This record gives sequence, structure tokens and C-alpha cells, in this order.
Amino acid sequence: MLYDVRLVSRYRYEGGVLFARQVLHQLPVDRPGQRVIAAELTIEPQPTERRDEADFFGNRITAIAIAFPHDRLTLEMRARIAVEPRPPPVPGLTPAWEVIRRAAVAETSLGPRSPAHYLWASRAVPLEPAIADYVAESFTPGRPVLEAGLDLTKRIKRDFTYDPAATDVTTRPIVSFEQRAGVCQDFAHVMISGLRALGLPAIYVSGFLRTEPPPGRPRLEGADATHAWVALWCGREAGWIGLDPTNGVAAGEDHLVLAIGRDYADAAPADGVIVTAGGHSLDVAVDVVPIRK
Amino acid sequence: MARGESAAKRRARGERAAALIAGYRPLAGAADELIDLSGTVRPHWGRFVETLAGLGVDEVARRFQTADRHLRDSGVVFRAYDGEGGAERPWPLSHVPVLIGPEEWRHLEAGLVQRAELMDAILADAYGEGKLPATGALPAAVIAGSEEYLRPLVGAKPIGGHHLRIYAADVGRGPDGRWWVISDRAQAPSGAGYALENRLALSRALPEIYRGFHVERLAGFFQAFRGGLNALNRHDTRVALLTPGPLNETYFEHAYLARYLGFVLVEGDDLTVRDDAVYLRTISGLRPIDVILRRLDSDFADPLELNPSSKLGVPGLARAVRNRQVAIANALGSGLVESKALLGFLPALARRILGRDLILPNVATWWCGQTLERDHVIENLDRMVIAPALGARVAGVLDRGPVLGADLGEAARAKLVAAIGTRGTDFVGQEVVRLSTTPVWHDGRLVPRPCILRLYVARTESGWKVMPGGFCRISEREDARAVTLQQGGASADVWVLSDKPVAETTLIPSPDEVALRRLTANLPSRAAENLFWLGRYVERTETTLRLARAIAARIADEENERRAIRPLMDMLWPAREDDPEREAIRAAPDRAVRAILSRGGDFGGVPALATWARRAASVIRDRLSPDAWRVIADLEAQAARPLRATTEVEIIERIENSLRLVAAFSGLVQENMVRHNGWRFLDLGRRIERGIAVATATRFLGGPEARGGRLEALLELADSQIVYRIRYEIAPAAVPVTDLVLLDPGNPRSLAFQAERIRASLENLPGHAPNGMPAGADRIATLLSAELATADAARLDAAAMLSYERRLMQISDEIALVYFTHRRPAPPLGDETV
Repeated sequence: MLYDVRLVSRYRYEGGVLFARQVLHQLPVDRPGQRVIAAELTIEPQPTERRDEADFFGNRITAIAIAFPHDRLTLEMRARIAVEPRPPPVPGLTPAWEVIRRAAVAETSLGPRSPAHYLWASRAVPLEPAIADYVAESFTPGRPVLEAGLDLTKRIKRDFTYDPAATDVTTRPIVSFEQRAGVCQDFAHVMISGLRALGLPAIYVSGFLRTEPPPGRPRLEGADATHAWVALWCGREAGWIGLDPTNGVAAGEDHLVLAIGRDYADAAPADGVIVTAGGHSLDVAVDVVPIRK
Repeated sequence: MARGESAAKRRARGERAAALIAGYRPLAGAADELIDLSGTVRPHWGRFVETLAGLGVDEVARRFQTADRHLRDSGVVFRAYDGEGGAERPWPLSHVPVLIGPEEWRHLEAGLVQRAELMDAILADAYGEGKLPATGALPAAVIAGSEEYLRPLVGAKPIGGHHLRIYAADVGRGPDGRWWVISDRAQAPSGAGYALENRLALSRALPEIYRGFHVERLAGFFQAFRGGLNALNRHDTRVALLTPGPLNETYFEHAYLARYLGFVLVEGDDLTVRDDAVYLRTISGLRPIDVILRRLDSDFADPLELNPSSKLGVPGLARAVRNRQVAIANALGSGLVESKALLGFLPALARRILGRDLILPNVATWWCGQTLERDHVIENLDRMVIAPALGARVAGVLDRGPVLGADLGEAARAKLVAAIGTRGTDFVGQEVVRLSTTPVWHDGRLVPRPCILRLYVARTESGWKVMPGGFCRISEREDARAVTLQQGGASADVWVLSDKPVAETTLIPSPDEVALRRLTANLPSRAAENLFWLGRYVERTETTLRLARAIAARIADEENERRAIRPLMDMLWPAREDDPEREAIRAAPDRAVRAILSRGGDFGGVPALATWARRAASVIRDRLSPDAWRVIADLEAQAARPLRATTEVEIIERIENSLRLVAAFSGLVQENMVRHNGWRFLDLGRRIERGIAVATATRFLGGPEARGGRLEALLELADSQIVYRIRYEIAPAAVPVTDLVLLDPGNPRSLAFQAERIRASLENLPGHAPNGMPAGADRIATLLSAELATADAARLDAAAMLSYERRLMQISDEIALVYFTHRRPAPPLGDETV
């Protein structure tokens, strides 16, 4: 499937900003099952310094500094992306989750997709016993890892309420877990926390969903803004499998990856240090339009 | 042993030595420094104990007190995190040094160099090619799981080619008599500066013993370390020592080392990254920084790419490192090799990387990420320490760090075993280490206490160099299992004994290495700001003390003299309608004086002023002489003492004691501080404050109508009575007094004198007269000085005074704007002036 993607983020700063230094994750890159045909990012006002490079996880980052007073910042990303997902493995035929746990620890690669990086508590995802207990219900002894993972994905969809008013971007997973409510970022964090607590590698994925569903299928939750889901490592053979707990499905050809990391903090669309006297508002618009099959 | 001693004397000495160690019994199951495994006193220790005995118990006690006094006088402190904010504590020195013989030292030295080399190689691989995990020599998880594996630094090649430039190991002597490495310090090893202070204190207290023992000197090590860092500078600039700030537990050491090594002490805010290069904000604009000696933990060093909640770092620093614009010692992310999980793999890694076995073994350690090791640990839990494998704690299980398996209750044990079963990766099992004991002076004799040594290795231009000495921590308890300084231990000097006389070295380089310089390096804006405020607070303390004295001295006087009290009270305690307590105090001069001497807070009392002065001074400790620092610390301590004095005479005595300290500070600043920009800011602060005080006093006490008692008081506040009497030989009259305290350019207390000094200082600061014309503060000061030079004392009224006060405050604001906040455009980069 070929998509045209447009992501526009408009920041307004009430008190004005004297100086800003930011790291942006706004540009998609090629990944297994995804090819970026073209992508560009325009920034208004024109930054004093701008550097485009790759981060550890293979994401494209844009480091900017704006060394003059400004009261708004507009980021506009346009891309054409081809999504050709590999056929997913048969869940029941994937290795038992305990086997995956052992294999992850024995992994010999330090590369960005090595499961060794995604086994640990990270800045935005502490490991919580309560979440671990919840997740463990899906991971019965000897159960194939992807089967258990899909079961967990569906349980979160069933048990949690999608409610943007319940959380904000800094909400800790345990808070969202206890109120069984939040948005895609919270569900992804809860799921990651539980998987890692069991010793399983889990990646945080930020990206997009196609805006309008194909005829006859329901519109997916999270299509109006950037989306987030989880990738679970299912062994060297099957690799990383995307699981979307917000919608209770495996990631497929409607899911476009923007950036990956250990949690939101690694993949945030924009993060930085600004010198300002007031608050700010952010308005994000996303269009993901299929061009052809 | 002295020649020509009689046999009887020798015998007496031997007996005294025996008395010192009578009852000295090493702990069961632990080795001892004084007595070896066979039960005999080690020879160099024997000689040391005899020498001590030769001095006699009383003399030894006196000498040790001298050492304590030296440390106290030098202001050596550390900060203990034992509750709210933590308090500064005096440095606890255990006076008896630990002695290490030459042969044993050579072994330790070789082991340390080998270990530093090994750690550096592991870091290079973890942040580089990743061959060790790829070939199975080290699980990728042991690297990737560390909180100190900083991904933004992966692939970054450090300038100079090495991650580690200073490395330390904590070593202890095991029950078998061998030295073992207990843990590694690669993040930002602390303690070397304290070791220097310990050495200084002890060598002064025991000069003849120190000289008699061929103790290896420490200065050469620091000299070589400094040389290694300076060699990385590409500009004509200084190395920056990056500190988290005065609230850090070892801030004293940061300031001390910066001064000792000639580095510039900076906090994160002092540095800025522009176009991927690092600059220091100075009063002359941005100046390049090429090398940073880091005492701030890596994770906090860059809020942009590392810990976003850090307020201590420098946004963009990681990028600057990746782009090879700055060298950081140790490299960001070096803390990785402190992981306990690594210890179990080191013996094999040493053979693989260096082709030989570890010279110094480390504590046997099993990483529970591996099935066999995990099972072994669970089976032998009672004989092990269970520690976090990859960080300082494991949330929910080891929240407070390592635990002894044997100490666990049933529930805690079951919980721990379950946690190890699920996430073994987070745990290591380690054998329980029993440290050796070393003699400690206790009530006139020596007793054994457990000790651990921290030894340092630095990379120099000619390879690794080990500091011939160390930082020894001693436990107060007889439990030989664990020591940390935070838990109230003491520290001791470590004497490495040479078999031949040692060469004297100091940090003063030989003459041919030094290019002559008259100017000191650039002054960081933060330092300038704190010097300025130190000046203002000290001067305001003086003004307040003089005012309090003037009131106290008049309370018991005749009615006539008492008339001056009211305006003095108005100055000390301006009326404020909204504060009834204030009004009550204003009505009672003796209460007012007591309040100003004993209260802090918004009363502007002396204790608060002295504390603010000390706080400003503590930020710039590396720029003050130890004497000046001591005076400021004493001033605060004296002001904080409860005011028990009952009579006016006692109160005045106390005020005068404090005034003497202020005078001592002024003297030290005038006589001992080089007249460069730092001094100028301190002086500007004092002059502005003094100018305001004189104008205010004249406004309240002077003017055409003033006479008698008021003018006497004005002369007293302006410290000008004597010169007035000599000059006029009449009772104070309004015009001559005003002329003397305001306009006389030769009177160092006059307003005109302050204005001229302010003008002259500003003229010498960088950025003066950017277009050939004085601007900002400069312009105000020039006008003010000219105005005072031509003013007529008979015509000056209260409005004139207010205008002087207002303009002095404007000068202060302008200075802050231009030099402290950097709101003016910076001068062009690369405009290099030293």
C-alpha cells in the first residue's frame, strides 16, 4: 500500500520563547516492511542551526536551535511511504515465551534492533509488580510468545477505556493502569512495562494510522494524531511483531512507523529545552491518505 | 632509631611502643595491616609505632589535634545526605596513616594499571564495534542493561582516543592476606582531593615521622594528570572542571581540585553549546572550552539527549562530543564499567583482551542473567551478598542496594528468590568480603578498625600513572563487611613507602615550561556575579553592624546624645505600617539592636547577611584564598551564635568582634587579591553598597539643619571622626561634615571616593566603551563622579541624596544586565584575549 502522509504540528508560546534547542523525530525511515520514497520537513521560523542525522535507534532526528525570540513554531512533514508488511508468523507456532526470554538475554548483538536494549526499565517505563501480574495472566507456562502477546493486546483493548482526558504526555504507566484508561501512548507503556517485567523485549513504536478505513472496516482509534503501539520480539526467526493494544490487533498495512525507542522519551516527535516565561499550546494534524494498493 | 641512644632509653621506648599496641587484637577471620597472618608486626609498622611511642601519648594526641585544626581551618567539609538538604560536616580524619611497603605497592600498581587498561578497552568496544558481545565474550545484555550505557554516545570516538582518563578502584585486603578489588569507579571518581588534604594535614602534624619514612609524594601524580588533560586543549584555554554545584556532597573537593590544578570551576549554566562547540560564558563573552573534567554524572550532562529533567547539564553537550568538539574526562557513559554484572566476566575478558590473568582478583561474582550462575546463587543465598547487577538499586526488591542473604527473613527471602527467577538479569550474587583492619588512635592507644582503600590511576602523556597513596575509609564499627563514608566512617591517609629517599615535587612547573602571563584567564559570569554579591553582602553586614553599634552606644547616654537614636532607628528599621511587631521593636532601641544581631529572614539581620555572604563565597571558593574563606565562615559562625550578652558593653564587644572579621576580610582582599576582573567585581559590590550607605546616612543624619549629636553619629557611621577632629578642631558642623563624608575624594569612606573607584573599575572591565563612548553603568558612574567632584556641600539636600542612591542602584542593575545575564550581544567568537 502506498501512502501520502502529512503531519503538521503548530506550537504557540504564550510568553514567547527567547531561545530553543530541540530534537525532533519527525521524518520516517526505511524499516522492515516499510519503504520511504520521499520525505521532507519544513520548519517555520527558519532555525538558527539545523542538523539532520540518525539516532542510536536508526530514527532520523532533526536537531534545531532557534536563537532569537519567537512565539510560534510550525513543523510540517510530508512523506510518501510504501507499506509492504511481511506475512505474520502463525502465533501458535512461535516459540514458548520462556524460550524467548532466555534467548534475549543470550543475544550477542548490540545493534539497535537487538532485543538486549528493550528488556529494562526505561525513563518513562518503570517496571511495576501490579502491571506484571496483569500481564502474566496471558503468559501461562509454555504458551507460544505471539499467541500470548496477541491475547494481551486484546485484553488491554477490552479492559481499558480510550479517554484523552484521563492522562497527559507525562502520565506514568501505573496511573493509567490503575484507572484502566488513557490513550495509545499509555496503553503502549503499560504493555511494555508488563512484558519487560516478565523478561520479554518490547519496543515502543510511534507512527501513524491510515486516516479513513477501507470500505467495510471500522475507523481505527488514534488516526487523528500520531499513534503509538508496541513491538514484541518473537525470536530471531520471527523478529519484532507489532501489536496495537489501543485497537486490539497486530500492526498491519494500516500502520506506518515514524520512530522507535525504549519508550516515548526516545521517540517523542519534539523534545527540547526552551527558555520561556509562559506555557504553550500544540495543535497537531495528521493525514494518511492511500494512493494505491 | 637515633644513634647514640643508651640501651636503657631504647628499652624504655620499646616498652612504650608495646604499651601502644597492648591489647591490639585483629578481628577473627579478617586480616590486619599492623600484624600479618603469622601474628608478627609488619616491620615498617613496627618502626612507625615505635616512632609514635617516642613522641609520647600526650604529644601524639596534641599532634593529631593540630591536624584536625588544619583541616577545620582549611574549611575541608563534605556534605552528608541525611535528611533535609544535607548538612556540611567537618572532615573526619583518622590520624594514623595506612602504611604500604614498596613491594606490595608495586603489585597494587601493576594491578591497577592493568585494570584501567582493561576497563578502557571494554568501554571502547561497548561504544564502538561491539566485538566482545558479538563473539560471546560478554552478553550484550550486560552492556545494554546498564543505566550508564548512553546510546547517544554510541559510535562517538573520544578526542585523545580514550574513554577513561581517571579511574579508581576500591580495594581491600582479604582474609588470605591478598588485595582484592571490591568495586570500580569510572564515572567520576571522588576522593583524590580529600587524599591531598589528608596528606597536607598529617604531614604538618607529624613532620619528622613523615620525613623519616620515605613517603612517596602525591604532587607528581596530579602534575601528570593535569598535563594529560592540558595536552588535549586546542585553543589557548583552560580545562573546565564541571561540578553539579555547592549542594553536591563533594563540592569542596571540586573547588579544591580546580584551584590546585589551575582549572576553571564551572556549573552547567556556565557553559553553552554553539554550532556543536562548547563555550564558557565569561564577562568578556563566550570563550571556547576544549576539555572538561567531569564531576557531574553523565546522565545529567545533557538535558537534550540524556536526562531531560536535569537542570545541571549543558544542552547539546552530547552532540558536541559526537562531533569531536570537546574532550570529556571521563567520557560520557564511562560509568558503564562500574556494573557489578561485569565483575564475573572480567577474569576471562582480561585473558582475552590483554592476554594475561588479572593481577588483582575481584570479588567472586555471579550474574543471575545466566541459568547456571542464577541457580548457584539461589542455592548459596545464605553465603552471598545479593546486589543490583546493572545499577544502584532494583526497584521494589533492592531499593536500598545490596543485602546479605543470611540477613533476610523468610518472606523477604522468598520475594527475592522469585524476583531472581523472573528477572535474573537484574541481580548478582557476590561472596561476602571481609576487609582487613588497620590501627586507629583511640584514647591513647591503637585499636583495629576495618578499612578500604581507594586507589587512583590517571592517563598521562606517558601512559597510566598510579597515585602513590590513596584515600582510605575506615569504619567506626567492628563489623568488617561494609563501609561507606556516608554512614559515618572516617578517612585516613595512605603512605606508600619507598625503599629510597623520594624526590620532592610540587605542582609548580619548572621555569622553562611557563610562558609569562600578567592577566588571569577569563572570568565566568557566575563567578563574577557571586564575587559582586559577596562584596555587597560583606559591606552591608559592616554597615548594619556600625549602625547597631551607634545605637547601642547611645542608649545609656544623656538626653542630648540620645536625640540621634531616632534617625538611626529609622535607618536600621524603616517604618512599615503592616507589621505591628516591627513597630514594637522600633519603639525599643535595645530590642532593635538585639533583633538585628540575632535574627535572619526579611529583617535583614546580621545572621542572614553573613549567611548570604558565605553562600556567595561558597560558589567561588576556588577563587578565594583559604584565609579569606575562613574569615567569611567565621563571620557567619559568630553571627549565628546565640546572643547571651546582657549589657550594652557586651553587645558592643560582640559587634566589634564581627567588625574585626569584616576588616580582616577587607585587608585580605586589598592585600592579597590580584587586581584583575574578579577583584574588580568584588570591589564594585563593596563600593556600590558603601556609596548607598553613606548617601542614606547623610539623608537621615546630615543636611543644612543638622547639628551636634546627629553629625557625630554621621561621622561615626562614615568612620570619619578622627580625620574630622584633626582637620577642623571644632564641634561637628553641617557643611564641613557633609563635605568630608560625601565629597572629599581623599576620604576612602566618602561617596566621591566610591564613585571614582566604581568608575575606574568599570573602565577596566571588558566591553567598556564599545563605541568609544562610555555606556550603561559606565556612563552613570562617570557622570556621578564628575558631579560629586564639582558639588558644593552647602547645597546638597535630601533629594540629592536620593538621586545618588538611585543612580548607584542603577549601576548595579546595569552591571547585572551586561555581565551576568548575557543579554547584550556577545562579542564575536574567536576574539581571543586572555
